[in-house]
Amino acid sequence: MIGKRGRAARVRYGLGAALGVMSMTGIALAQDAGGDAALVARGSYLATAADCAACHTAPHGGKPFAGGYGIASPLGSIYASNITPSKVAGIGNYTEAQFSRAVREGIRGDGAHLYPAMPYTSYAKLTDQDIHALYAYFTHEVRPVDERAPVTQLPFPFNLRFSMMFWNALYLDNSRFAPDPSKSAEVNRGAYLAIALGHCDTCHTPRNVMMAEIGGKELGGASLGSWIAPNVTPDPVSGIGNWSSDDLFRYLKTGDVPGKAQAAGPMAEAIEHSFQHLTDDDLKAIVAYVRQVPAIRDGADSRPRDSFGVASGREAVIRGAPGTLDNGEKLFSGDCAACHQPGGQGSKDAYYPQLFHNAAVGASTPDNLIATILEGVDRTVGGQHVFMPGFSRGSYVDELSDQDVADVGNYVLTQFGNPAVKISAADVASIRHGGPKPLLARVGGYIVPAMVGAAIVLLALIGLVVARRRKA
Amino acid sequence: MAHPTFSSTGDVTADVVIVGSGVVGAVIAHQMAAAGHSVVMLEAGLRLKRSDIVENWRNMSFHNRVHSDFQGLYPQAPLAPAPLYFPANDYVGLSGPDGSAFQQGYLRTVGGTTWHWAASCWRHLPADFRMKTNYGVGRDWAISYDDLEPYYCRAEEAMGVSGPHDPELQSPRERSRPYPRDMIPFGYGDRRVAELVNPHGFHLVPIPQGRSIQPFEDRPSCCGNNNCQPICPIGAMYNGIQHVVKAEDAGAVVLDQAVAYRIDTDDKNRVTAIHWYDADKKSHKATGRTFVLACNGIETPRLLLLAANEHNPTGIANSSDQVGRNMMDHSGVHATFLANEPLWFGRGPAQSSCIVGPRDGGFRSSYSANKMILNNISRVGPATQQALELGLVGQALENEIRRRAACGVDLSVSLEPLPDPDNRLTLSKTRRDPLGLACPDIHYDVGEYVRKGATAAADQIRQVAGLLGGTELRITTSFNANNHIMGGAIMGTDPKDSVVDGDCRAHDHANLWLPGGGAMPSASVVNTTLSMVALGIKAADSIQADFQGGRA
Repeated sequence: MIGKRGRAARVRYGLGAALGVMSMTGIALAQDAGGDAALVARGSYLATAADCAACHTAPHGGKPFAGGYGIASPLGSIYASNITPSKVAGIGNYTEAQFSRAVREGIRGDGAHLYPAMPYTSYAKLTDQDIHALYAYFTHEVRPVDERAPVTQLPFPFNLRFSMMFWNALYLDNSRFAPDPSKSAEVNRGAYLAIALGHCDTCHTPRNVMMAEIGGKELGGASLGSWIAPNVTPDPVSGIGNWSSDDLFRYLKTGDVPGKAQAAGPMAEAIEHSFQHLTDDDLKAIVAYVRQVPAIRDGADSRPRDSFGVASGREAVIRGAPGTLDNGEKLFSGDCAACHQPGGQGSKDAYYPQLFHNAAVGASTPDNLIATILEGVDRTVGGQHVFMPGFSRGSYVDELSDQDVADVGNYVLTQFGNPAVKISAADVASIRHGGPKPLLARVGGYIVPAMVGAAIVLLALIGLVVARRRKA
Repeated sequence: MAHPTFSSTGDVTADVVIVGSGVVGAVIAHQMAAAGHSVVMLEAGLRLKRSDIVENWRNMSFHNRVHSDFQGLYPQAPLAPAPLYFPANDYVGLSGPDGSAFQQGYLRTVGGTTWHWAASCWRHLPADFRMKTNYGVGRDWAISYDDLEPYYCRAEEAMGVSGPHDPELQSPRERSRPYPRDMIPFGYGDRRVAELVNPHGFHLVPIPQGRSIQPFEDRPSCCGNNNCQPICPIGAMYNGIQHVVKAEDAGAVVLDQAVAYRIDTDDKNRVTAIHWYDADKKSHKATGRTFVLACNGIETPRLLLLAANEHNPTGIANSSDQVGRNMMDHSGVHATFLANEPLWFGRGPAQSSCIVGPRDGGFRSSYSANKMILNNISRVGPATQQALELGLVGQALENEIRRRAACGVDLSVSLEPLPDPDNRLTLSKTRRDPLGLACPDIHYDVGEYVRKGATAAADQIRQVAGLLGGTELRITTSFNANNHIMGGAIMGTDPKDSVVDGDCRAHDHANLWLPGGGAMPSASVVNTTLSMVALGIKAADSIQADFQGGRA
């Protein structure tokens, strides 16, 4: 069922990967290993920073790194593989060279190509030392699980894995990370953590029609199916320029900055599984890096997305007058106000966040508001489980129709958020079914007929030319 | 995934036909559908939206709130009335010395009455299953506590019950698996009362309950809205709709506004079909291999009597003449007083702790046991009413409301009636529902056993009030209903004096199960839902065994 437990949220674009454009001149972030134990510990930390478990450990009780989790892509489910050292089902027979090739070039031990749901275009930046530490961790510390993960079966033509060879030729920059000598050591460290390991760009950088990241738009915000990974460049209007470094640090550490934003969907998972476990110094380095990438402004934005709205005083007006409310306000009162409070100010301890000055409600696109209503929020950080139930099919609280979600969403936008944004039932239906499909997914079935057509045209042209030459 | 098949005229065929979509029917539907059987559920009432109910409650008048109107905010299907009391609709006709004690509140709606329960998930005591053997009163069950214990565990796990992991605080202590979640922590009032009364032989324990302080599956954590009754606004309290949804996800189909009224049987007295009226009063037929009636303690015996046919002239499953007899509820009293210090009841869920010292003992051979719930429903409403009656105004009024709300105590005391064949549900000869089907009549007398038990309870109440420095002690003098309807399809080993066996299978019909409160032969003093669900799961296992054994 779509929407339960935010599963559909775990979207990593199937055909998308980083085309790093930053200056790469070589950096070795990993400390020299102080023996095997230290090496394995370092590998464990790197695996957390790279969030391998996000995809390779199935949620809700999956065995660590045994795979099996179906990553929802616009092209179909891509199943994460078993990367435990099992010799029958995992990577137990991989040499370090094979391991390195899988992680950094997207080529399996048997020579087959991985889909870039595996962010190897980011991991390509990993240093040899870090690959060594990761290999040590995965072969010595992770427990082998002898259960095969399901086989990914994308529809034709995307099931032709060798086609990734051409994609890689165009979009894979197989060079290692190199620090920018004009930047501080902290910024360089942050760049390595954010891109080579954290692969922030995988979600936050928009993609072209071939699903490759667009150069010059780094971290400028992108649609991820049901969710939007927002612009996190330092632009003060469209990005996070109005956030303090402490705000950003707190967000990465906890997923919750009252009065600004709360993490849901894939970002909640990234914080739960990865960021909250990083050292404070590493989080600060990521913040330092993010604060200095080129700012990107969307001309349509007039105010920061977390600056809209005020508390509502409607409760005193509406109570005792049943039947007078429109559907959106009635749903807000019945389904939202018990936790977020009638005034939208949330609870005093901020477990239930305020709705005004809230990035999901003030953004220029309503996707994250819609996705939150449908799928809820599920984030366990520092031992605290933050949970908002979704309101899609199967909800224990209430099942809302597309029109209901549009109505309550529009009420929330008008009362607490960006009043220029409007939601239609069709918008909700789209998000409910995984979000807008990128062109490549929509035309997928036509790619081969188009190639055949092009070949016929080409042959006809050649034939024409040959015929003319003969005539000549 | 198996689905029921529908004909062009709207008739349906399924492996399992279930009448009633409350917690018992829904849990069975989920189990059977998950096991690969096609399941159809016929629900007389409407499918409701939580937000509508929440809004109806928020707009309810002070009078209805302070008098606990839990029924009026739930819209009813035009053809399937349920009791209303503000004003009374007399859907259930009551008579007898304590007829007024049987004013039950139950919902006919998808998900059932657990929309407005308080989520107390008690087990019966082992002794409760052997009342006749141990105390020479009432009846023994056809099964023992040990027989039902694994099903209690499964019911607790299905409903996500939070209960004490500390054995000292368990009632009963006999359990094979821990509660899925540890107890909801005591509030200040619970702790303080425990300090004051426990040294005097009272035993205050947390109420096991179907909610949790951390999310359970897709159910959010309880944040203490305190209006579990009449509606949890956030779905943190377990209710039957959760298993309705699970059953649907496993392939079951729920038909709402489908009022069952006729049951067909073959020459071996197996049930072959159940007929229902749809919202347009058009009749349809559900054929199946196995049938379950789980319509609550009043509607199940009513349907069995309504559905009398040629082979079963006194009603379905009624060769013993016990259908509709032995009607029970935890007829109770309330005691209110003002403690001499603030106890701050009304924070957290509606029910929190309970005095269970008098749950069991040799006295049960002569009078009823009791349990005393420290009601945790906010006292602001009653405090306001009382302060207004004092004629106060301004700051004095506000101060008095605050004092009374902080110090107010409400003990809800439950007593245990014995099964009495004369406490009987029959079909009204004068009142009919909008479909022309006879409404239920119930004759009720709590009996000397309960009256003597109430006298004993009153002494204990006075002692508790005294330990808390209580003033203005008031103990109600007439018994109130607690909506725990039992007995109308009573369980026993002998088909001559009981309706169902230990699996809740009807003695008269090999493919008909009647699980729920109606089957319970002893009331104990504790809320019935967990026992009902445990019986439902046990019934589902026996239905599954019939399919596996080729008997279905």
